[in-house]
Amino acid sequence: MTINRDRLMDVLDKAHRGPVIKQFDWDTRVIPGVIAAKLKEYGLQKTCDPANPINQDLELADRFYRAAVDVATEVGMLCTDTQRAIRYSQAELLAGVDAAPAAFTLGEGREIAHFVHRAISDPTPPIWVSPLSIAVSEEVFEPLVTGIAAIPEVDCLEGPSFETIWGAPLRAGSPYELLAGKMQAEAFYGAIARAGREGIGLYAVGTSPTHYGVLGGFGIPGGYKPQRDIVLVLSPVEIKTSYENLMKLAHAYNCGGQTYGGSWSMIGGYAGGPEGAALSCIACTIMLYNVYQCVNGASFPYDLKTMGNCGRPALWSLGVVFQALSRNTHLCANSVLNQTAGPATECLLYESAVGMMLLSVCGASSCTGPRSAGGKYTNYITPLEVKFAGEVFKRCAGMSLAQANEIANRLLPKYEQQLGNPPKGQSFQECYDLATLQPSDEWQRIYDTVKDAAIAAGMPLH
Amino acid sequence: MTADDILDGLELAVIEYDPAAAAHWAQQAVAQQIDPITALAALTEAIREVGEGFGCGELFLPDLIAAAEAMAAATAILEAEVAQRGLHRQGLGVVVIGTVFGDIHDIGKNMVATLLSAAGFTVHDLGINVRAEAFVAAVTTYNAQVLALSALLTTTAPEQKKVIDLLTAANLRQQVKVIVGGGGITADFAAAIGADGFDATAPGAVKLTKTLLAL
Repeated sequence: MTINRDRLMDVLDKAHRGPVIKQFDWDTRVIPGVIAAKLKEYGLQKTCDPANPINQDLELADRFYRAAVDVATEVGMLCTDTQRAIRYSQAELLAGVDAAPAAFTLGEGREIAHFVHRAISDPTPPIWVSPLSIAVSEEVFEPLVTGIAAIPEVDCLEGPSFETIWGAPLRAGSPYELLAGKMQAEAFYGAIARAGREGIGLYAVGTSPTHYGVLGGFGIPGGYKPQRDIVLVLSPVEIKTSYENLMKLAHAYNCGGQTYGGSWSMIGGYAGGPEGAALSCIACTIMLYNVYQCVNGASFPYDLKTMGNCGRPALWSLGVVFQALSRNTHLCANSVLNQTAGPATECLLYESAVGMMLLSVCGASSCTGPRSAGGKYTNYITPLEVKFAGEVFKRCAGMSLAQANEIANRLLPKYEQQLGNPPKGQSFQECYDLATLQPSDEWQRIYDTVKDAAIAAGMPLH
Repeated sequence: MTADDILDGLELAVIEYDPAAAAHWAQQAVAQQIDPITALAALTEAIREVGEGFGCGELFLPDLIAAAEAMAAATAILEAEVAQRGLHRQGLGVVVIGTVFGDIHDIGKNMVATLLSAAGFTVHDLGINVRAEAFVAAVTTYNAQVLALSALLTTTAPEQKKVIDLLTAANLRQQVKVIVGGGGITADFAAAIGADGFDATAPGAVKLTKTLLAL
């Protein structure tokens, strides 16, 4: 779907003529006030049920959606550069959501990935976009991407991202970032060719905290290709945009490209607890599809206490968000799964098992991940956890919510105590042979152990 | 109405996030000639309780902000009285805080700033996307004892080192403690760039600040 110019110009107009709201007031009064009022009005307070991490009450999810439409209508999305709110009428917002496609493709040739809207417990396998933009050193990038691209469950690639550019620190918002955009595209195209997956779709540009990486890497000669790749537009919390985001959108329009709109809400942050975060995420998703005209994406909750979303409150909140979007829209909603433990640990794989199963049964069209070791450490990402997460995501398609909830309750005790202080694990170089791209015996044994435990818990991973 | 009633009213107003009540009890304190420093201490105790609730996950950021707003409503009245009486209120110290250049994430920074203020520090929040030169200038302008730098992204974390290097070049490094934090920061990284301390949580950052200043 190409970006409509009239809608783009309307967004820019609203960003410059909408009501003035100072960012501090937005964060500390507007968002908390409206979220709290709508939670109360729709009877959504204290509905989080940690004993049932996968919500079973679909009427509740529908109520969250209706409340979120109200939130989106009342608050809109704040442009931090102009300090103005981009607002629509409720009818305009719903029309914007309806205008998003129920299906689209990325990639080309035999590697085309077909994204479709998914229902709750939909048997259609979802799309696995992997990994997240975890920083890696330049010498590790190629073997790592080659190893990940060779995994059949991987449908598209987003990360990793470079820690340095030709030996220099990659500074956000600097010429280094501009150069890194194209450098990363070239590195990806080289690695996927070596893995025999030339046509695989790419999310651009992982190494782009500001707009410079996208300007330097997308739609230019040798860069990411607008006809088969997609521009990442990642909005800051809480329901905000910026010139940087809008420049990515404008650049995607100029190049005839498509956009992915993403954001998140922190449990414990401006929106409050797990219920507030879920409500904020759904409202933000409605705004993302209106402001960025994206074909894929969503906002997802994430717990400040664990800096991940694989603990009970975050899982419950995540499930409600995707259930609400699945049942009330035809969007191709994408989530991100934020694990906290590092490679070569059981904890990482158990986090993936429960989180990916949840997203598969709650109607996510696609997921991007993993965020091994919370994305904190350079080179802490390996192909084996990518493979495991993809296996779970695809093979749990079609499972009932009740069955998934039972399995989650069997697996959570195996890792939830570690979430506050997760094991760092090992780097790619420590637990992989970079020449053969095979995991160490220890890492393979951990994978086999957790997979057996997941099967014993009822997960269809045979 | 006793002095205890008024001090209890001040504490309750903060705990119940009620700025109007906080202002009312502050005015009562002034009218009844209660020592304004004692009244301010009651407010600090109340916000400390809220901070503890936040630290153990029972309360969330909006609670913290609402309590801080209630406290501010009373503080303005009581500090005017402190000045009127020619008294001096001893603060814990001056902190400059901000998110480094290239990074627009502010939630963690706002939590730390709010908790530091609640603990009794004078906090100058420079906001997000702050250039290294602006941090260095603020350290001088405000005569800060602590500089707190936030960065969420691995691509913006090196900016923290740039700030520290500029402080060193300006011969300011010895007069200010530098603490770093943010989603992408680790203790190893903090040590490698020459920061004085790191903590992964907002309450932890307050403890760290007190430790570094030997409070």
